[in-house]
Amino acid sequence: MAPEPPPLLTMDGIVKSFPGVRALDGVDLDVRTGEVHCLLGQNGAGKSTLIKVLSGAHQPDRGEIRWRGRRVALSSPSAAMRLGIATIYQELDLVESLTVAENVFLGHEPTLARILVRRGRAHSAAARLLARLGHPEIAPDRPVARLSAAQRQIVSMARALSHDVRLIVMDEPSAALDPDEVGNLSRVIAGLTAGGVAVVYISHRLEEIRRIGDRVTVLKDGRAVARGLPAKQTPTHDIVAMMTGRTVERLFPERLFPERLLPGRGGDGPADSGAAAPVLTAEGLARKGEFAPLDLQLRPGEIVGLAGLVGSGRSEILETLYGARRPSAGRVLVNGVPLRPGSVRAAVRAGIGLAPEERKSQALLMLQSVTANVSAPSLTRFSRGGWIDRTAERNAARAATRDLSLRPDDPDTPVRTLSGGNQQKAVLARWLLRGCRVLLLDEPTRGVDVGARAELYAVIRRLADDGLAVLLVSSEIPEVLGLADRVLVLREGRVVHTAPARELDEHRVLDLVLEGSATP
Amino acid sequence: MTQPAPTARRDAQPSAGPQNRELGGRRPAGLRADARNLSLLGVLAALIVVGGLTRPDQFLAASNLQLVLTQASVIGVVTVGMTFVITGGGIDLSVGAIVALASVWATTVATQEYGFAGILFTAAAVGLGCGLVNGLLIAYGGMAPFIATLAMLASARGLALQITDGRTQIVTVDAVLDLGVPDAYVLGVPPLVLVFAAVTAIGWLLLNRTVFGRRTVAVGGNAEAARLAGIDVRRQRLYLYLLSGLCCGIAAFLLIVLSGSGQNTNGNLYELDAIAAAIIGGTLLSGGRGTIAGSVLGVLVFTTITNIFALNNLQSDVQQIAKGAIIVAAVLVQRRTLRDSAT
Amino acid sequence: MPESSRRGLLFGAAAVSTGALLAACTSNEPNNARSDADTAPAADDKPGAPVTIGFAGPQADHGWLNAINENATSRAARYSDVTLEITEGSNDTAAQIGQVQTLINKKVDVLVVLPADGKALTQAGLQAMKAGIPVINLDRIFASPQAYRCWIGGDNYGMGLNAGRYIGERLKDKPDAKVVELAGMDNLELTQQRTRGFDDALKNYPNITKVARQAAEFTVESGQAKMAQLLQAQSAFDALWNHDDDQGVGALRAIAQAGRDEFLMVGGAGAKSAMDAIKADDGVLKATVLYPPTMAASAIDLARALGQNKGVGGMAELEIPASVTLYSAVVTKDNVDAYLPTGFS
Repeated sequence: MAPEPPPLLTMDGIVKSFPGVRALDGVDLDVRTGEVHCLLGQNGAGKSTLIKVLSGAHQPDRGEIRWRGRRVALSSPSAAMRLGIATIYQELDLVESLTVAENVFLGHEPTLARILVRRGRAHSAAARLLARLGHPEIAPDRPVARLSAAQRQIVSMARALSHDVRLIVMDEPSAALDPDEVGNLSRVIAGLTAGGVAVVYISHRLEEIRRIGDRVTVLKDGRAVARGLPAKQTPTHDIVAMMTGRTVERLFPERLFPERLLPGRGGDGPADSGAAAPVLTAEGLARKGEFAPLDLQLRPGEIVGLAGLVGSGRSEILETLYGARRPSAGRVLVNGVPLRPGSVRAAVRAGIGLAPEERKSQALLMLQSVTANVSAPSLTRFSRGGWIDRTAERNAARAATRDLSLRPDDPDTPVRTLSGGNQQKAVLARWLLRGCRVLLLDEPTRGVDVGARAELYAVIRRLADDGLAVLLVSSEIPEVLGLADRVLVLREGRVVHTAPARELDEHRVLDLVLEGSATP
Repeated sequence: MTQPAPTARRDAQPSAGPQNRELGGRRPAGLRADARNLSLLGVLAALIVVGGLTRPDQFLAASNLQLVLTQASVIGVVTVGMTFVITGGGIDLSVGAIVALASVWATTVATQEYGFAGILFTAAAVGLGCGLVNGLLIAYGGMAPFIATLAMLASARGLALQITDGRTQIVTVDAVLDLGVPDAYVLGVPPLVLVFAAVTAIGWLLLNRTVFGRRTVAVGGNAEAARLAGIDVRRQRLYLYLLSGLCCGIAAFLLIVLSGSGQNTNGNLYELDAIAAAIIGGTLLSGGRGTIAGSVLGVLVFTTITNIFALNNLQSDVQQIAKGAIIVAAVLVQRRTLRDSAT
Repeated sequence: MPESSRRGLLFGAAAVSTGALLAACTSNEPNNARSDADTAPAADDKPGAPVTIGFAGPQADHGWLNAINENATSRAARYSDVTLEITEGSNDTAAQIGQVQTLINKKVDVLVVLPADGKALTQAGLQAMKAGIPVINLDRIFASPQAYRCWIGGDNYGMGLNAGRYIGERLKDKPDAKVVELAGMDNLELTQQRTRGFDDALKNYPNITKVARQAAEFTVESGQAKMAQLLQAQSAFDALWNHDDDQGVGALRAIAQAGRDEFLMVGGAGAKSAMDAIKADDGVLKATVLYPPTMAASAIDLARALGQNKGVGGMAELEIPASVTLYSAVVTKDNVDAYLPTGFS
């Protein structure tokens, strides 16, 4: 028997931890020459971290990487590139102020005497690469800042191809592309693999993976739950089951009065007189290129969940409701009164509060105390002639944080020393203090320990029971299903399904989210 | 305005040779840079009209052109270095202090014994040394550029004072002094201006045509992207502060020639003048975009303002007010020009 | 005030004759001391009761201030009965107040204070006086006369006046004479005083017009830059007054670079480099008006006299005066040798 040639790349037991999170918990992966190897997994499964390890941007804490059978250390991005590993990142990694050609050859410019850049050569080489990718209309001398997201994706690809590559890692390359461009992409990939180049392909779209992938590795919670499954034959429900299977039991609070809140048989119609009047209404709300016209009613005491993938327009919808983005069509009403579009101030005054996804950068003053954070939007209440009544402020902050059982029970604690869950509570307390009626939660449990999540769920449920209307966005489908009364499923900026949470399950939602690929 | 160009290039591609393609490709980039600097050229032109109208005999004289360019050369060389640092995402508040330290170190009695070469070498070496310290602290010590260079500002000024005891150090080396007088002019161009022109030209080439320049822009525009592209971001940052330090050393030498002395008060507030000139020239304070031509134009605008005001015997209070107003005006006009050219 | 304290301002100072002094107050001739009434006990070189003098001055970041410190220390060293307690110079008001208080606590006999900022140090002066320690206030004057026993300092107005007079006399026979002024830092009051004195003196000469004035910053660099512009603006003029000899180094450089020599130049303050040039008489610089750092030496003399309960030699009074304004002498080629030892660098 002829010995099988070693795989192009093998990774064994890769472990990578960040403060508080074990992003990779012993991942195995093997990639063969000339294949398209797909990586699947939910958000937070560890795909991005794995890619960064592969590209040399992160160093693994443990584990072994072999390249064509030889053990290697990918100690830096240039070390990975020297081996022939190129990476196309999802968060586009281009320098906006440089031109297309300059970006394509950044770090390995064709030079004269290693000093002068041979601009003509870089230029024509970039033009050839772009033509090969089917985009000759992207001029090599355009600044990247003026390109569309799809064009930037192409430039990133051209950059990967500009190296002498053996392996290209593509992190959701199709996310920013139109359908026909996706077709073009698969042609490019076919051309590459025919030439012996291997591709590691990350995507959420199952049908895409079926079309172009050879083998699939599924990641969940930082581990590879399945290695090297045949991409075209493995049944979809097996893949979905592997992606969703839960290792951690989640505790969701009981809905106290779900019947009162659920809309009548006809859905969201105004004929539904049994329910309370909506506090927040969106009428035909839309933003060009981000989400299609949306109608939404939110009643006091109700939790509505938005389920969808990253990029499906979830956060954009929240931010538009909040006034942080100006809608291109439609309007937002609070208690029947239209809000001034694109004004956060108007939204806050009307009683809308937002707990954003990026808590640390978008909501909290990390170096300040809990009190300062909680009172920030309500300061006028504690001030007289510009002077802050610090005792009143502190007492109010303490009352609000106690209500949410924020630990430690000391309003002078700097927020940065709190755990993720307690930081989130500080954000919630801020809006409670402000007396808001609508709470918009964007990924409220991101960065929160699993154990602390249940407590946070209870808090959110209690707030709703006290009469707040809550709109919840989460990438974790069980979270949406467990917490929300009603769920809107989003795909590519469009609501594709609306149903009471009890009528949905995780597989069904995942099917909807992944473009109905699970339908029989 | 760049929109039509790519089409033209693509059309030309199949038939024309590689050289034509190159030319076609370069044009839009050039036009963009011009648009950016157009407003400054306009401001400069307006200043020249004002100067020509108010003091025609003095302002338009060849000797005045020599004067303006000479006065611009010291701060101009500093600004070229500053442009690199800012483009690379940093800031250098210590340039004025480094000029002062280099100018006094290079004019001590001991240094002057080594004559022309000793003074030149010392000025450059002191500049490089300060740049090295800045660069190491920032690139490898992880200090914020603002703080590291502020510390350098304080210590370099202090050291300069310690060296001089507050005394003015007169230069007695004739070879140095002679560079500043009309006899040394080359075809009517003062040697100081020649140095300024050379530094500008090299700076332009370095930023626009070399790997070094490309990496500077990348590090300033998106340090993470640069790192992922395999660029040694820290080393690049070190180089930028070294370059700025070297420019300060050269500027110190020019100042020694110009003033015939070294003094610890030299280079006062150069950091602000250099930053202002670079910014009104079109360099982004946040990094990622820089233009040498714009910076030099910025310096020339400032120098010309000072010149016109002095020629008209206006006093420092009016000069300062006008300088502030012109900075605001130039930036406003520039933003408008940029917006128009973007469509 | 940050601008000025940073620069350690107040340079230049006026006045007088050399270490030889107070007695010569009304004369331009350094050696012509008027000494009629010789009855009073005078400060002299004869050793008397031991005196401890505390000295607090600003940071010596400029030639003139440096010379102040040197004058004080060398003068004190000449007296076997004087002990000088000198503090580290500082431009920081708070630091200087602390230094004065330390000297008070040390119970020195007399204090000599050159404040970084006269107004801000007034309280420190008052405190010393209340503690029974007489204060000699040097140059930058305190806000209240109660804060010092004797003030001694230069005369900025007189500096301008004498520069104007000298130029006026030199040009009085020239019809339509043009004069140019290179001033010091414009945001300092002393610069305004010098300019006022200069303008007032020129009013006596109707044939002379001041055609241009630019303000430099007491630095060589700014002197060169501003002078170069002035020379470009004025294609010909007859005289130039430059407020400060330090910036004069730059101004002379600009003049050499422009190849101009049709005018006469008068400097200010009395730097050694200026005096050397006046003595050599090979350029445009013909004179400089003094703001002599020797005032520090005189302040030591006054302090010693105070400590020994004497008056001033050459004066009839039993006590030293309450205030001494030094004369801003004009140093020319004729008298430069007498002043050269006082020139500072």
